[in-house]
Amino acid sequence: MSAAATGIDLQAVGYRYAGAGRPALDNVSLNIAPGQVYGLLGPNGAGKSTLLSLLCGLSTATTGTLSVDGRPLAGLRRAEPRAVALVPQDYAFYPTLTVRENLAFFAGILGFAGAAARARIDAGIAFAQLDDAVDRRAEQLSGGLRRRLNLAIGLLGEPRWLLLDEPTVGVDPQSRHFLLDAIAGLPAQGTSVLYTSHYMEEVQTLCRRLAILDHGRLIAEGELESLCGDAAGAQVELATDVALPAALVERWAMLSPAPREYLLKLPSTAALPGLLGEIAGVAQLRRIACGRPDLEQLFMRLTRRSLRD
Amino acid sequence: MQRVHLVRLTALWQKETLALLRDRHGLIALFLMPAIFIVVMTMALHDAFMPGAAIDVAYAVVDLDDSPASRALVARLDKAGSFRRIATERDAELARQQVRAGRQALALVVPAGFGERLLAPGGIDGKPTAPLQLLVDPVLNPALQLAFRTQVSAVLGTLRADELSQRAGQLFGLPTAGQPVERAWPDDIVSVAVQNERNVRPPSSVQQNVPAWLVFAMFFVVIPIASIFIVERQQGTLQRLRALGLPFGLVLLGKLLPFFVVNQLQAVLMVLIGRYVVPLFGGEALHIPDGGALALAWLLCAAVSLAAIGWALLVATLTRTPQQATVVGGVGNILMGAIGGVMVPKFMMPAAMQQLAALSPMAWGLDGLHTVVLRHGGIAEIAGQLGLLFAFAGGTLLLAVLVSRKSA
Repeated sequence: MSAAATGIDLQAVGYRYAGAGRPALDNVSLNIAPGQVYGLLGPNGAGKSTLLSLLCGLSTATTGTLSVDGRPLAGLRRAEPRAVALVPQDYAFYPTLTVRENLAFFAGILGFAGAAARARIDAGIAFAQLDDAVDRRAEQLSGGLRRRLNLAIGLLGEPRWLLLDEPTVGVDPQSRHFLLDAIAGLPAQGTSVLYTSHYMEEVQTLCRRLAILDHGRLIAEGELESLCGDAAGAQVELATDVALPAALVERWAMLSPAPREYLLKLPSTAALPGLLGEIAGVAQLRRIACGRPDLEQLFMRLTRRSLRD
Repeated sequence: MQRVHLVRLTALWQKETLALLRDRHGLIALFLMPAIFIVVMTMALHDAFMPGAAIDVAYAVVDLDDSPASRALVARLDKAGSFRRIATERDAELARQQVRAGRQALALVVPAGFGERLLAPGGIDGKPTAPLQLLVDPVLNPALQLAFRTQVSAVLGTLRADELSQRAGQLFGLPTAGQPVERAWPDDIVSVAVQNERNVRPPSSVQQNVPAWLVFAMFFVVIPIASIFIVERQQGTLQRLRALGLPFGLVLLGKLLPFFVVNQLQAVLMVLIGRYVVPLFGGEALHIPDGGALALAWLLCAAVSLAAIGWALLVATLTRTPQQATVVGGVGNILMGAIGGVMVPKFMMPAAMQQLAALSPMAWGLDGLHTVVLRHGGIAEIAGQLGLLFAFAGGTLLLAVLVSRKSA
């Protein structure tokens, strides 16, 4: 274990829910450096939420070790309970309380009282631009305002690490834009962010580095640029009139996300004529696209399924 | 306690209070419902709790004999006073029609020759003795039919005894009083409630109903507690609180105090209603005990409150939606109230039901309050009920914590 590692450090972390057939997290090792918005991707059931619940102390890893900023997680949570904060996907506040009452309640739970509490509440209102909504009950807020309140509550304790679980689900474009801008600015204010989302374009905009989980395992990790442009090869997407022979599919290491649709990676575009020549002998091409894959294509190639399944 | 925990508890109490103040249905269930029940049920059961109160059942007498003895019978029935005589007729058929028409529920037909054969049982002298006949509206409660028959038999018995002593006196030349009908007998039976210190009269309707509906209402904290708790769980707020390092014990403590205060406010309000509102509707004002009895009554209220909150938290952890909690909590309360002597006082129940009542936490609270307020019992007399209530509170709280841990 690299006890001195900065940031969030996971070493061979595993977690299995009681009675589950296979682990929700399986031997995951990962280091997330501070000072950035780090993307965490994976289809539903991949283990993202489990990882977040381990990091915010809701569950304890079955195997492996977790440390944050060089301290074992449990010790850090005891010494600095506000260091890691979670903004859950649910609107985890009280619908019948006003925006200010909700902020005051969570400030109290964080141990703030008197002037300190007032200062934190005012900072939260200012950060999420909730000034016009402070006296409205949470149940009367739009989806966008609710997301902003959810985020403001997460930031009340000035955490060094903020875990965001799908923070833009169900919001209008203006609010989404506001939220993304606000989140992008957090590292500069001293809060590093671990960001999970189903929206690939958001992750592409916000994150320089990311990890992809599937079936509880880490299947890719690194800089967005290098993951998408891996080996400077070319991504080819094609559709044919009949299914391609298995031998051909295997030789070119094709994936088939749908019947008669194929995805493959070529070492360079120079290999393209050879591929087309082989296909021409057995099928007619209906469609072909060639180029550098974007994040969604990368994701589909790696997980062999759609993000929103 | 650490300062941070105090700050956290204060925040939890404020939140719970605000959420409750905005829960209109919860407030109605907690305050308005029992207030209405107390007034309505106190008035409805007013006579059921009055010893010797007139039973509002009318009867007629058809006196076919018109003798001193038959007149004495009527006069003595009048004196008993429990049933209301509306007429003395001379025609049995007319009385029968009036029973059928619902004018009166009973008609007692005194046969001709009644006085003459008062001391001659049928057949003793070879001649038949016509019996008294009772015409009855079949919808009349059988218990009341029986009560009337018993009353007539009793009056008949005293009449025969008087007649016998009169004749025997004359026979043996002893001094006798005047006519039986004119004599006054100490024939009223006075009901006396047995109490510890001094004898006062039995509980009135208001004394039964205020503690009963108060205990019932206290258990209705299940509605607001469960709704808030389930919303917290459904919306992920409980998880967020755990992620913030808030111990679950503190979450429970955060609910305990506000609803304990709510229960005490209910107690004050219900007692004030019994004292000042019930008399406005013609009922008797609630007598408020003083000194030690008041302290014991409060101790019981505190125990009932803890039991109610424990039950509410258990329901909240066992149910998934506020609707489920309302049904389980509400029906559970009604069952506890029904078998526990809230809706139907325990002493009116058959013996088997009274044994069943011992299973209801509401009955423990109610019995305890009656022991203190009506029987002037001390701490030793209510120790059993207090123990049961505290054990129920502890048991349900423990179960709630275990269920929450398991589902976390």
